[in-house]
Amino acid sequence: MQENYLAKWLSGELSEKELAEFKKSAEYASYQKLKEVSSTLKAPEFDVDQALTQLKEERIGNAPKVIALNPFKKFLRVAAAIAVLIAGSYFYISTLDESVTTQFAERSEVILPDNSEIILNAGSRVSFSEKNWDEKRNVTLKGEAFFKVAKGKKFTVSTTHGTVAVLGTQFNVENREGFFEVTCFEGLVSVAYNNIETKLPAGSSFMVINGKIVDTTAPNTSQPTWVNNESSFERIPLGYVFAELERQFNIEVNSQNVDRNLLFTGTFSNTDLNMALKSISTPSRINFKLEGDNVLFYAKKTP
Amino acid sequence: MNNVCEEQVFSSIFKANSKTVFNYIYYKFGNEEKAHDAVQEAFVKLWENCAKVLPEKAKSYLYTVASNTYLNVIKAEKVRLKYAKPSLEISNESPEFLLVEKEYQQKLDNALNNLPENQRTTFLLNRIDGKKYAEIAEMEGVSVKAIEKRMHLALKALREQIDGI
Repeated sequence: MQENYLAKWLSGELSEKELAEFKKSAEYASYQKLKEVSSTLKAPEFDVDQALTQLKEERIGNAPKVIALNPFKKFLRVAAAIAVLIAGSYFYISTLDESVTTQFAERSEVILPDNSEIILNAGSRVSFSEKNWDEKRNVTLKGEAFFKVAKGKKFTVSTTHGTVAVLGTQFNVENREGFFEVTCFEGLVSVAYNNIETKLPAGSSFMVINGKIVDTTAPNTSQPTWVNNESSFERIPLGYVFAELERQFNIEVNSQNVDRNLLFTGTFSNTDLNMALKSISTPSRINFKLEGDNVLFYAKKTP
Repeated sequence: MNNVCEEQVFSSIFKANSKTVFNYIYYKFGNEEKAHDAVQEAFVKLWENCAKVLPEKAKSYLYTVASNTYLNVIKAEKVRLKYAKPSLEISNESPEFLLVEKEYQQKLDNALNNLPENQRTTFLLNRIDGKKYAEIAEMEGVSVKAIEKRMHLALKALREQIDGI
């Protein structure tokens, strides 16, 4: 006999041979009787329609209210998510630093929260934290800027070359590729360069060209000359002069057979390109050719 | 689209299944009142979750909810099933025969009450509601083989009890 043969017999799934064998067994009559009687059993009465009416009246009558609330719940969920996002981004943005950037041939004036002033030369960028200004007066500078610092706590200018710290003064910081110059016009400025601190009294400069500290003569003006639309140079390699020319007029400067390390002393106008080109070429005994936004400086030897 | 949330679909599911759900719980726990409540409970749950339950899944959902409703509550209660007696309309039987029949039914009732719950449910769903093993397997969430096993054991136990072995 196969497994669960009683169940198979009841559902009529036994093979004829198995059925015959089962019929011969002693207990077959008992099972047959059980099968017959159990088929006459009945479950208690259950009135389907009455139960359905009861269900609808007593229980489901309340259900639609629950369903109607669902869209509102969804709306609340979305609203909460948006609120969190807005609040989050507000706090994120408010911690970001303020920053001002000037393009080539552009200048900008920045007023700091304590009324200190920054005049930003062409192709430069300053950034500072407006939120933490009261705790820490610190600006990060790329490029060149003139600072008029209101009296107060220590004011620091962070650059890639070094850090400049002051109390309240006017000073210029130029931080270019391979070139770092700090000029103090009023008060006292402290410059930390390669962990060496240098104190700059009013009317003195600190200059580093290609990693070397270079002596410079003191400026005889009360402001950097570029503030008055002139760029002045005191024994500065021609290469840096060309770079400044590029920034002030937003042009491209190339040179041919010109010694870019030749020291240049002089001034060029930041408003008149032709005058500026002459101011550079004449004392250096070189020629220039201007084509659109391109300037080529070349030595006199070449025709 | 057929959706359980539509009243017509829901009503037809109720009409097709409520009686079996009622019996199923009754066979399990032997309590008529609780079986009524279980039907109400199961269909209210179905209505509340009508958007999530597909019409073709509604059936097994109902049995699961119904049996879970009283899973812990009635376990301890002693099952006392009473089955509506088949009406003995055949009057030309002798009184002795009728007495023997009555006695047999008494024995059967007792034997059924003593069966394990899952064997009794399977046996009665098949005998009273005429459910195929496959259908019972679906309701109980087990294999057909398991239902056959329960049926086999139920038959064996019932005969042994009735015959006094």
